[in-house]
Amino acid sequence: MTQQAMTSKQRVMKLFAGEAVDKVPCFSGMGNVTTAGLKSLGHKFAAIHLDAKMMAEAAATSNKLLGIECGVVPFDLCVEAEAMGCEINVYAHSEDLLYPTIKKKLIHGEAEMEIELPADVTARGRVPLLVEAIGLLKKELGDAAPVGSYVLGPFTLAGQIMELNDLLKLSFKKPEKIAKLLDRMTDVIIQVAKVYEKAGVDYLTVREMGATSDVLSPRVFKSLILPYLQKIFAQLSVPSVLHICGKTNDIVPFMATSGATAISVDQKNDVAATRAKLGPQALVFGNYDPYNVLVAGTPELVRTTVHKCLDDGVSAIWPGCDIWPTVPPENVTAMLDEVANYRR
Amino acid sequence: MVTEEKKGELLEKLKNAVISYDEDAAKEAAQEVLAVGMNANDAIFNGLVSGMVEVGKMFEAQEYFVPELLMCADALYAGLDILKPHVQQMDLGVRGSVVIGTVEGDVHDIGKNIVKMMFDVAGFQVYDLGRDVPLDKFLEEQIRTDSDLVCLSAMMTTTMTGMKKVIDDLRKKNPNIKIMIGGAPVSQDVADKYGADGYAKDATNALKDAINMVGSLKKMKDEAEAQKAK
Repeated sequence: MTQQAMTSKQRVMKLFAGEAVDKVPCFSGMGNVTTAGLKSLGHKFAAIHLDAKMMAEAAATSNKLLGIECGVVPFDLCVEAEAMGCEINVYAHSEDLLYPTIKKKLIHGEAEMEIELPADVTARGRVPLLVEAIGLLKKELGDAAPVGSYVLGPFTLAGQIMELNDLLKLSFKKPEKIAKLLDRMTDVIIQVAKVYEKAGVDYLTVREMGATSDVLSPRVFKSLILPYLQKIFAQLSVPSVLHICGKTNDIVPFMATSGATAISVDQKNDVAATRAKLGPQALVFGNYDPYNVLVAGTPELVRTTVHKCLDDGVSAIWPGCDIWPTVPPENVTAMLDEVANYRR
Repeated sequence: MVTEEKKGELLEKLKNAVISYDEDAAKEAAQEVLAVGMNANDAIFNGLVSGMVEVGKMFEAQEYFVPELLMCADALYAGLDILKPHVQQMDLGVRGSVVIGTVEGDVHDIGKNIVKMMFDVAGFQVYDLGRDVPLDKFLEEQIRTDSDLVCLSAMMTTTMTGMKKVIDDLRKKNPNIKIMIGGAPVSQDVADKYGADGYAKDATNALKDAINMVGSLKKMKDEAEAQKAK
């Protein structure tokens, strides 16, 4: 045992490597920019999605100012879809916290499913901006904290470029057509993930929330979605996380065979049951409610929630989704303190 | 005059068409309802809607998932489109008009559409604002249409907070308005904090709540009629 405390980066990377850590890390693979961080920089929320420097600075404050053990870019879910040709809306007019969304889908019905996608997605949209932001964020955080980024899973990405209504119905009626589309999404995702790796991310999260058991049956997840997730994770060289929110207890055994280094679940998952299913070695990240607990809860609720996550057996204290920016810094402090002082 | 037996058979056909998401069967059965001169209201409520209630149960039991739910809804609409022109104007005793939409920043509208469907079958005048709706638009539309129910949907934590502003604005102008919120991140706690009258955390609950709401309106109508009869 080393006497000196590990840095956040050492702690997270050791965890991914399956090595012993001095305490459970408290980090995320999803967006965690805060209004406290934005205020310290004087950046507007709508602006940080479009400027690599602002993006990196904003992401770094979550670690530097609040102590969350990572920096993650981007903050929205539109990067890959935009690179494929979707126009996005960043709500520049708004002073509220509105995340960018897709303005116009590429596919409007079954007939358009064979549309051509650009071959050079990594040179398009904000992918180059993300590459730059990852580099800047690495400089900002140095050896102190790891830098993460994320891509969407193939089904969720398909839902960004095609009407969800059609996607869902066709995944039941004509799964072979959807499989073809998912295969193309998989290629795009791998290309984008590779340039993020090259830019130096320490870990990557694949967010496949569209395939939650709230929406799709475990059977369809296994037959239609899982093969493409496996294809993606087989291509990644940095530690990876598969995130699915909502109901996931029936699909965690499948998630565990995706090839991801760790799986991430949200507050709807019974982690004690998941731990029992997957055994002591599996890396299971989760599973506090990032809004109702971390933002709207009291420090006391944050403590009891974090304590329960640890009792249930999570490998990292990690939110169920993006952290809503107005998180009170004292709640983050309570979370970190509870983890540091945790004794089973 | 249509026999009770034939009536029962057609109701069963409509119900099963919805459950087995068979649009053609729903259309056929609806045509037959009209051909034999059966009451369209009866066919909608005791045929199509009871099918959808069954679908809601199957969804809850995880026999059906969202794709199936959407296909069942298509079958329901296939029948409804044929029957609706023949519905006698329902006097619900209250103004049946509702403004519905997904809040700005959120482009998910499946849950919203399921709820909308229930209002459609109940004969409500539905003002559907669609998705990614600027927050001020809800109040504008409520005032324009003088609706007494507003339904807001948000599927992501990151857009849910916008609903609070809409609710505050609506209440300021019209303290008696009924407001229902729905979506994955919504909880009773959130509904209380935001000051909403009802909430639905997912499609099943939305379905149930909408059915309940329509049910309570029917009850109000019955009570109003009982009053009149006195």
